[in-house]
Amino acid sequence: MRAGVALLVALAAHPLHTTLTQIELRGADGSVQLTVRAFSDDLRAALGGDVSDSAASRYVRSTVTLVDRTGRAVPLAWCGLRRWDGVLWLCLRGPAPAAGGLLLRVGLLFELYADQINIVQTKRDGRRGALLFTRGDPPRPVP
Amino acid sequence: MSELGVFVTLGFRHIVDLEALDHILFLVALAATYRVRDWRDALWVVSAFTVGHSVTLALAVTGALVLSPRLVEFLIPLTIVATCAENLVVREQRRIGWRGGYRPVFAAVFGLVHGAGFASYLRSLFVDRIALPLFGFNVGIELGQVVVLVLGAVALAALDRLLALAATRRGASVLRWRVIAVSAAVALIAARWAVERSPF
Repeated sequence: MRAGVALLVALAAHPLHTTLTQIELRGADGSVQLTVRAFSDDLRAALGGDVSDSAASRYVRSTVTLVDRTGRAVPLAWCGLRRWDGVLWLCLRGPAPAAGGLLLRVGLLFELYADQINIVQTKRDGRRGALLFTRGDPPRPVP
Repeated sequence: MSELGVFVTLGFRHIVDLEALDHILFLVALAATYRVRDWRDALWVVSAFTVGHSVTLALAVTGALVLSPRLVEFLIPLTIVATCAENLVVREQRRIGWRGGYRPVFAAVFGLVHGAGFASYLRSLFVDRIALPLFGFNVGIELGQVVVLVLGAVALAALDRLLALAATRRGASVLRWRVIAVSAAVALIAARWAVERSPF
């Protein structure tokens, strides 16, 4: 009975488990920038309470992967963290392969929540696109 | 997938997920008084709920309305309890309030509260270019609600059959027993949530 009540209380908490990643490919300077937005409490849970720059950087770089069409990982450098209204903004930057054909996977927080949805907004030379990742999804081509 | 499609998917999955049990139970409480042949009335009520939560969602996300998340989370189960109470007290909804036309108004007003519940999440993440996410999320919520409504209708029809086996008379009495059973069960669960979430 108590377990049933606890389950109902947990279900009723009704959080929206999602993150937003914006990826911008800048043809002019040959760079790619990713800005990841995640709820602070979710990220804190994923990092075991440590939301320092180094811990957040390690976590994001292990769960967000960007590879070129030869399968080589695009090296992404940490470019900072910002806190705003319960959300952490995390920045990664790297060189964009000239040939294009990037594959992206955003696996943030899948280890915590079965219903996690990671949304990606893309911008390439003024064109916008979007991707959606749920648990178990493979890498997808960046539009 | 298009950007709009991504946000429609987000709204749809959010409402059909068991995590959204409070919204699902609210829809079940709203639908409990309708037979399958009354599906148009049920759809009107659920759509009015969508209009209500869309209005608050838009106001809250754009910063025009600021509500305490704790208060909103407390008010949501109260709207469920009130809906169940209305189901239990009003025996013939078609005989009062514009031949039952008050129910969409009722659902829209309660939708205002539920919309504020979604808002705190969207506002924080989608601070720039909010219009498309907001629109897509709402369309997804509406589609999800239709799915919940259809599944709810199937479950309620199955419950009717069980009640008909136990009842001596078919028709209105079976519907009445269904309304009582569903409303009482949902009201108890929602009352428990209200106590758990009380900010007082």
